[in-house]
Amino acid sequence: MAGDKSEILQGTLDLMVLKTLESMGPLHGYGIARRIEQISEDALQINQGTIYASLVRLLQRGWISGAWGTSDNNRKAKFYSITRAGRKQLQAEAQNWERISAVIGRVLRSAERG
Amino acid sequence: MLAWIRALASRMRASLSPRQIDQEFEHELDAHLDMLADENVRRGMSPEEARRAARIRLGGQTQLKETNRELHGLPALETFLQDTRYAFRMLRKNPGFTAVAVLTLALGIGANTAIFSVVYAMLLKPLPYSHPEQLLTVFEAQPQAGVNATGWSYANFAELREQNRIFSDMAGSQQHQLTLTGRGEPSVVNTSVVTPELFSVFGQRPIVGRPFYPEDGKPGAPAAVILSENLWRGSFGADPKVIGSSINLDKRSFTIVGVMPAVFRFPILTASEQLWIPLVQDPLFGSWMDRRGGHWLQVTGRLKPGVSMTQAQAELDAIGARLAKEFPAENDGWTIRFVPLKQKIVGNVKSALLVLMGAVGLVLLIACANIANLLLTRATSRAREIAVRTALGAGRSRIVRQLLSETLVLGLLGGLAGIALAYVGVQGLTALMPQDLPQLNAIRVDNFVLGFALLLSAVASCAFGLAPALFAANSNLQSSLREGGTRSGESGNRRRARSFLAAGEIALAMVLLVAAGLLLRSFSKLTAVSPGFDAQHVVQADISLPRFQYSLPQQWAAFSEELLMRLQSEPGMRDAAVVVPRPMTDGFVNLGFDIVGNPPASAGASRTANYVSVSPDYFRVMEIPLRAGRLFDQHDVAASPRVSLISEAMARIYFPNQNPLGKQIVFGFPPDIGAAREIVGVVGDVRDVALAQDPGAMMYVPYAQAPFWGANVVVRSTLSAASVASTIRRDVQQIDKDLPVTDVAMMKDTIDATLAQPKFRTFLLGLFAAMALVLAATGIFGVISYSVSRRTNEIGIRITLGASRNTILRMVLRETLMLTGAGLVLGLPSALAASHLLGHMLFSVSANDPATLAAVAFTLGLIAAIAGYIPARRAMRVDPMVALRHE
Repeated sequence: MAGDKSEILQGTLDLMVLKTLESMGPLHGYGIARRIEQISEDALQINQGTIYASLVRLLQRGWISGAWGTSDNNRKAKFYSITRAGRKQLQAEAQNWERISAVIGRVLRSAERG
Repeated sequence: MLAWIRALASRMRASLSPRQIDQEFEHELDAHLDMLADENVRRGMSPEEARRAARIRLGGQTQLKETNRELHGLPALETFLQDTRYAFRMLRKNPGFTAVAVLTLALGIGANTAIFSVVYAMLLKPLPYSHPEQLLTVFEAQPQAGVNATGWSYANFAELREQNRIFSDMAGSQQHQLTLTGRGEPSVVNTSVVTPELFSVFGQRPIVGRPFYPEDGKPGAPAAVILSENLWRGSFGADPKVIGSSINLDKRSFTIVGVMPAVFRFPILTASEQLWIPLVQDPLFGSWMDRRGGHWLQVTGRLKPGVSMTQAQAELDAIGARLAKEFPAENDGWTIRFVPLKQKIVGNVKSALLVLMGAVGLVLLIACANIANLLLTRATSRAREIAVRTALGAGRSRIVRQLLSETLVLGLLGGLAGIALAYVGVQGLTALMPQDLPQLNAIRVDNFVLGFALLLSAVASCAFGLAPALFAANSNLQSSLREGGTRSGESGNRRRARSFLAAGEIALAMVLLVAAGLLLRSFSKLTAVSPGFDAQHVVQADISLPRFQYSLPQQWAAFSEELLMRLQSEPGMRDAAVVVPRPMTDGFVNLGFDIVGNPPASAGASRTANYVSVSPDYFRVMEIPLRAGRLFDQHDVAASPRVSLISEAMARIYFPNQNPLGKQIVFGFPPDIGAAREIVGVVGDVRDVALAQDPGAMMYVPYAQAPFWGANVVVRSTLSAASVASTIRRDVQQIDKDLPVTDVAMMKDTIDATLAQPKFRTFLLGLFAAMALVLAATGIFGVISYSVSRRTNEIGIRITLGASRNTILRMVLRETLMLTGAGLVLGLPSALAASHLLGHMLFSVSANDPATLAAVAFTLGLIAAIAGYIPARRAMRVDPMVALRHE
């Protein structure tokens, strides 16, 4: 089911963007994309453009905010930062994620044994 | 949830400025590309290479922008806009269909909007007074005698005003006309004779000067008058300095103290040029103030806030009982009743308006059925298009939504055209509107009415669009595709729906036609009814005598005698007489009487007759026949024995199987209360109350023995009305140059004017029925035409197999008549139910008049047969070769 797969990916990407903004502070789109690539040690090879859909979704829900500013090398760029509602959401989602991955991990391990 | 709402709000904001969103995103992507390229250069790429790599790394930009736009937009709205654009394209592609549908709908919406604007102005809008819901009209009633609502005596009113605890204030009023002199031509002005509280009861302040104060209502106070704004502008040049100056009313001086704004009209039916004087100053009613027995003062009260109707009635009952106990001679058997002021004003037009509203509602329903039929037909020929769309993945709801958008666009187009029609219609309506309708508020298409029209168009679109849309979406994909564009592919369901709609149209049209037919028959009977006299070639004029100058009955009699003498000596005007009151145009005076030698009438069965005072030639002028005895002559004067004439009805009712001649009757009316009058003759019956009311008992007395303070002159002449009128004016002014002559008219015209309301509603209902008939006929025509074209193939085969053309004609006509018959069967019970609502508007026609029903059924059948005959002829002429190739 193609739709379901992209749905999961979307949610994961949103979560990663939120986490990145929480730990790094305000960042522009390029910065966020680079950071995610670095953390995932380039295992996650996506078109960098896909994070923009993620940013729009998070903006619309009020979890991040965006403002135009100037980058290190003096380029105009839109900087995003996490909002209070975003932090709360991240906390909830992260717990959720950990619980699910723990469950999935257990299931997979028991399947191996069995 | 909160996040979801925030997201929607953000999307809505964004959808307002899509271009800005696009631009901003483009900048953002550019910055991203630059940064990527910078990094690539740092890694050692050439600038061009760095840029290309950056583009690949970012991903397809067009696609990114597209996604961004979608994320920001409102998908439902966009589909709707897309559907609307598509709908407009489809409607443009079928101009014939669009024109018929829009026109049909415009008729329905236009008629509804026009009538609704009248209903809104008359029934729904509040009266133009502050807190109008608190205003009540308070009556005295004597239920045993059948008197349900009548006025008050001033003395009783004063007690009521003093004793009650439910009204914040109350006022009494009465209307008549006084002669205004001292300012150019003498003129007659509508005068409201009021207690001083009137203006505070209605919560209205004068625009210039002051209202009446309680002192103005006391005997001996200087005579004060308040003008209406329109009278002030029309006759006094809107001069604020008129305050303090004086005018003459019935030759007596009154000081102008104030001017009331034009928005204040009381009573509401009076012309806008009027004035108000305190009751105590009135030459007529002022002298009645201390007599408790009369019933002439109209009382309006303003309830205190929070007082309920039940509380009000309880309090009034108590006061009524107290009055009856304290003054039994005048008040025994009388009770107090009230109705909201608005109900009193609009009471008699309400039902007629509601009937008209119902009629236009039916017209709209027929229009909707017609359009639904058109849409069903079209949906069949569009089956292939819809099947292709379904095959390409459009969901059922998507198809329904798209078809509904089409009908909504159609509905709104029809609505707009209808509103344009309504503007014209409202102008026509107000021009034709009878003068005696209470026009509380200006009748126009205002915002509220516009809102109604738009809502109606939307509801109508759903009504005619839903069924076809559902049918279309339900159609079987495979069979539709296989049958392709051919016309034979139509489900039985859809055909049945179409037939049902056509039959329904016939049924609805029948309801309207029966109603219109009944009103029409009733109206023609009303105009054909003989009033008992001949109004043709009779000119009438009204001369009122100033009551301060002409205060004695002898003066009144002398004036009319002199006037008649002058008039009758004019060439061609020998047939002249005076009469008070005139039949139908003036109110009637119903008096109780006793017969000398008979026991007095018991309370429950009092003897009453309408009382008329006439000069001897009246019966000749009006051509009222003498049945027995003699008429009045010049010997019946004030000094001679009292005599009277009675009508045939009076002879029949009160002197059954007796000869009334020589009997004496007694009644208490000035100037000779208690005098016995000998009945000297019996004359023919006259409809003196209204054309629609059967003649009742009437008694005539000689004007010389019972004069009034004015005279209505009637002249039968072959001269033109204008020359008769100018002769009357000249003769009156030769007697007294300050006497105005008013209400000059052909008597025939004034009697016709009493039929203005029934004429108006008959005309409107007839118009709507005609619209219904045309719409229903097009409906039948559409169904039969479609059925014929669908069966072209079948008809071709039949002809080839030897069916005669007549057989084909009969076959098609049979289908038409089956539909019509079904419609008539459906319509009959509804028509009967509806016509009973007309009951009280009908004159000597029964609500289930078989002749009307038969005529309507015949008309509908005939029209339907004609509508079916046109396609039937086409069927008859089908060329079998063409028909067989048709498939």
